[in-house]
Parts: sequence; structure tokens; C-alpha cells
Amino acid sequence: MNQSVNKKMIKRNILQQEIICDVQNVCTEFGDNIVHHNLNLQVKYGDILALVGRSGCGKTTLLRHVIGLTKPQSGRVVLFGQDMRAMERLAQRRLMNRFGVLFQQGALFSALSVFDNIAFPLRELKQFDESIIYQLVMHKLALVELEPRNANLLPAELSGGMVKRVGLARALALEPELLVLDEPTSGLDPDRSHNFINLIKQLKKSLGLTVLFVTHDMDTLASLAERVAVLEDKHIIADCTLQELAEIDHPFIVNFFQSIRSRLQGL
Amino acid sequence: MIAASFRIFQDDQGRQHVQLFGQWSLREPLNDFAILRKSLQPFFANASTKWDLHEVEQLDAAGASTLLSGWGNKVNDNISLNPEHAKLFNILIGLTRPLDKKTERNLLTPLNTIGEGVLHLVEHLVEFFRLLISLLIEMAYLFRRPQDFPWREFSANVYKSGVNALPVAALLGFMIGVVMGYLMSKQLHQFGADIYIVNILGLSIIRELGPVLMAILIAGRSGTAMTAQIGVMRVTDEIDALTTMGISRTLRVVLPKVLGLTFIAPLLVLWTTAWTLAGGAFAAHTELGISYRLFFEYLPQVVQPINLTISLIKGLMFGFVVALVACHFGLRIKPNTESLSSSTTSSVVTAISGVILVNAWFAILMRGIGV
Repeated sequence: MNQSVNKKMIKRNILQQEIICDVQNVCTEFGDNIVHHNLNLQVKYGDILALVGRSGCGKTTLLRHVIGLTKPQSGRVVLFGQDMRAMERLAQRRLMNRFGVLFQQGALFSALSVFDNIAFPLRELKQFDESIIYQLVMHKLALVELEPRNANLLPAELSGGMVKRVGLARALALEPELLVLDEPTSGLDPDRSHNFINLIKQLKKSLGLTVLFVTHDMDTLASLAERVAVLEDKHIIADCTLQELAEIDHPFIVNFFQSIRSRLQGL
Repeated sequence: MIAASFRIFQDDQGRQHVQLFGQWSLREPLNDFAILRKSLQPFFANASTKWDLHEVEQLDAAGASTLLSGWGNKVNDNISLNPEHAKLFNILIGLTRPLDKKTERNLLTPLNTIGEGVLHLVEHLVEFFRLLISLLIEMAYLFRRPQDFPWREFSANVYKSGVNALPVAALLGFMIGVVMGYLMSKQLHQFGADIYIVNILGLSIIRELGPVLMAILIAGRSGTAMTAQIGVMRVTDEIDALTTMGISRTLRVVLPKVLGLTFIAPLLVLWTTAWTLAGGAFAAHTELGISYRLFFEYLPQVVQPINLTISLIKGLMFGFVVALVACHFGLRIKPNTESLSSSTTSSVVTAISGVILVNAWFAILMRGIGV
């Protein structure tokens, strides 16, 4: 009897572990404008989930709920099986170290050099001395394929692609399990955005990441996403693979899918 | 998932073995590499210690780097690894090492610092005069084409730095007037020279205190706002956007600010002076019993009207200096937060110093007039 309960518990634990991020019944309003109404979304371990939808439909807002920057009017976001809002400060901080965020504009600390930007979260941990931090920063720079000599540049001196790479390196500094990307390829030329997507894919494989990203770029979507969640009319109206999306009969999806069909055929 | 941990045993030859297991990774929130490193320190120090990493479930760069730094940044025969771990260690070892910082003392350093300071100052002055000249050129252009005058921006600046400053200027002036009036009353009363309070307060407030007080107020209030605004406009490329529309940044951004503040400053001087005098009169009335009527009827007789003119001219110049300095520093801001804060600070400090310098120069010029 006791054993079976134990087994059940373990099973449930594993199930919960598999769902990295669980958005439950989230409602968001800005004044009269209802953005999300009873929205549900789950991100499972190992997923590369793209969040798509028309401009201004609340994708970035949802992303901000997930990473705890804003609080939905009702509903909750469960990350790694825990509700961040209902935690004490230290535990919350530890939880926040389990995901890395790449903001649309990079959000690098403009007064710090590339090196210090990447070293920042490592220094905040207060577990490493400077020689180890140096090695780790160089390792992260190598991961995102940046030259060590770029380490002393300031964010203002970087090109758009480099800003994204440094932002990614900073997001990866604490070995996160979940990587959240807001428009990872915006502002990059096709060649660079292709490289950047390959980089993310490769890192996902080697580091065992789960990726949640928002994009408007069809190429990014077609080449990176394994699953697509479509946010439309305050809900997630579809959460499936790109191929399955073709069979859904919804005006927005049909419209949307036509534009990527040609690209998919090329793959 | 088990947190990073280790086990120690001795083999029959008396050698120490350290067996590591668990998650040697930052992903395990219970890990503290500082503590691990400290407790492993005696084994790091002993070169004959055998290390066994086969039981490690997960090893990331942070864990590997911690171990490597203990091993002196190399993997020797005493360490047995899984092939995938060996790969990570090899990557980490292959990374460039930090350059040893050379902290050689250079005897010329103080001289260099002075030299750099002078060059910096010269650069500032050159830029400042360049801005001043381009402002004058724009004004000349406006004489030819008056319809290009940016009235909306001008009026917005007059409102922001003038009208909005009225309450705080009044409060500040009145308070200082009361304090000065009170202290002077105490001193003058000892000599029975009560009525001279009007002379002293009148001359000092109208000629010196009013304009300087106003200048410090607008330097802190409007000067910083201008610097920060232009700075952020530069950071967000708004200035470049203006230029591409064929609109001169000096004409649209700098000129309305400078002219607006220059226009409103004399009026603010009048306002501040009036409230400071009112404060002084209030103190004189309560301390010495001098009636308000007597105070203000006697004032024009003992303070020559030319002092008011000097005060207004000073106000004009102070407004001009504060706005121009603010714009100068705003246009030099680089796109990072550090530069924004340091430029704003420099803007206020330079503006106030400039005002006091101009005031001193004026005091020398006007030394025979009105006193």
C-alpha cells in the first residue's frame, strides 16, 4: 500500500518535471483591452516551442508573465513545478537562475563591457573566483562563436548580430534549463539569422535546453520551431507541429499557413 | 538529481582517492561551488591524490572549471574521466588564459593625467564654441527666414522651465529672504541701525542673490532636464532622424532651449527677487517692527534703479549660460547609462560654476555702478 502510494508520488513527480512551464487560466487586461482570456499553455522538457500571432496580440506580454516580469490579473504561471509568485525571495532567485532570457534588443548593460556583461550573473552567485569566472566567460563566448578579443568591447560598439550573441551568452551563463527568446532573429540579415538559428539548435542539443520563443519571422519559425503555439483571439488556438497546423481550419491559421507553406516545401 | 558531492577513501598503498558523484552543475540549485572548492582544497594540494569522475552524472563548464582551477589548469594521470568529460576539460584548457596584468609604475603617470585633463578641457572648449557659433549662424538664418522659428518648442520650453518653476522659486526665495532678514535684523538692532535693513537686504537681494538663486534653481531644474533629454534623443537616434528630415538639430533642439531659457530667466529673476524681498520684509516686520509700507516705500530711495537693470541683464546671461552648457553636455552623451549620468552631473556642476564665474566677472565690470 505504502509502496504504491510512493510509486504514484514518484510518477507524478516525473510528470511534473516534464512540464517545464505551465500557464494556467491566465487573464490579462490593459484597461478595456482584454489581451488574454483563460489562456493555457504548456512547455514540455526538450521542446522548442514557438509562440506566434499577429502583432500586438499579447505574445510578448505572455512571455513577460512566464519569466515573472509582470503578473497576470488572474490565473498563474507554474515554472519547474513551482509558482514563482508564492515563493520566498531566495528560492525565487534560485528559480530565476534556472531560465535564461534573451531580450529583443539584447538588454545588455550598456556601461559594462561584453566580458562584464557575461560575468555579471556569475559574479552575483558569489561562488567563483575571478580566474574561474574568466574561464567560464571565455567558454560562453566560444559557445556563441565570438572571439576572445571582443570581450573588451562595450555594447554600443557591437553590431546587431553580436549583441544577440552576447545576450545569448549572458542568458546561458548560469546553465539554464529553459531559454526564453523574444524575437531572436529580429534585426539580423538572413545569413546571420540563419547562423543564429543553427547556433541555438546546436546549443539546445549539446546543453539539453528547452526553448520558448516568440517570432514574426517565418524563416525562423520554419527552421527552428518543433512545436507552434498560435495566440489568436485571446487564446492559444493551436498547439501542434507545423505540419499539423496545415490541417486546422481557422481563418487566421489558414492565412498564416499559406505564407509559410512555400517555405516549408523548400525544407 | 543529487547535489555535487564526493567520497574519500585510502587504498592499500596509502594513497587518497577522491570519488566525485552527483550533479556537478549549476543546474542543481543546492550546489555551492565555493564550499565544494574549499572542502576539496586539501586534496587539490596533495599531488598524489587520485581523482575519479566516473560517477558524476552531469558536469558543466562551471563544475569543470572549479575542478580545473584546483588541479592547476591541467588534467594529469591521477584523474580518471569519462570521454565526454575529457572533451569538456580539453575545451576549457584550450581557452585563452587571462593576461597577467602589468601594473608597472610609470613615473610620468601624474604628468600624463594632467596632460589628458588639459586636452580634455581644450576639446570641451572647442566643442562649446563650435556649438555657440552654430547657434549664432542659425540665429542669423532665422533673421532671413523668420517663419522657420520653432515657436512651439520655444513656447514649450518657456512653459516647462519658466511657468512650472514659479512655485518652487517663490518658496525658495521667500525662505531665504526670511532667514537673511532675521539674521540681519538681529545684528543691526544691536547698533540701533534698524532702518538699514532695507538697504542691505535690498541691495544684496536685487543685485546678487536674486539672479544667482534663480540661476542655481534653473541649472538644477531645467539644465539637467535638457541634458538628459538631448542625451536620450541621441541614444535613441532621434537627433539623426531629425537631421535626415533636413531639420537642423541646432535649430530645432538647441535653439529653442537656449532662447526659451534666456527669455524666461529675467522674468524668473524678477519673480524670485520679489519673493525674497517679501521674505526679508516679513522678517523685518516681525523682528524690528518695520511696516511693509515703509519697507517698500523706502526701498527705491536707497537702492538705485540701475541695480534692477543689472540684475535683469545677469538673469539673461545666466539663462543663456545654463541652457548652452546643458545642451553642450547633452550632445556629448554616448549611448550608455554611465555616460548619461556623468554628463548630467557635469552639466549641473559646470553650469553653476559658469554662472558664478560670470557673476564674478560682472561684479568687477559693474563695480562703480549702482552702489
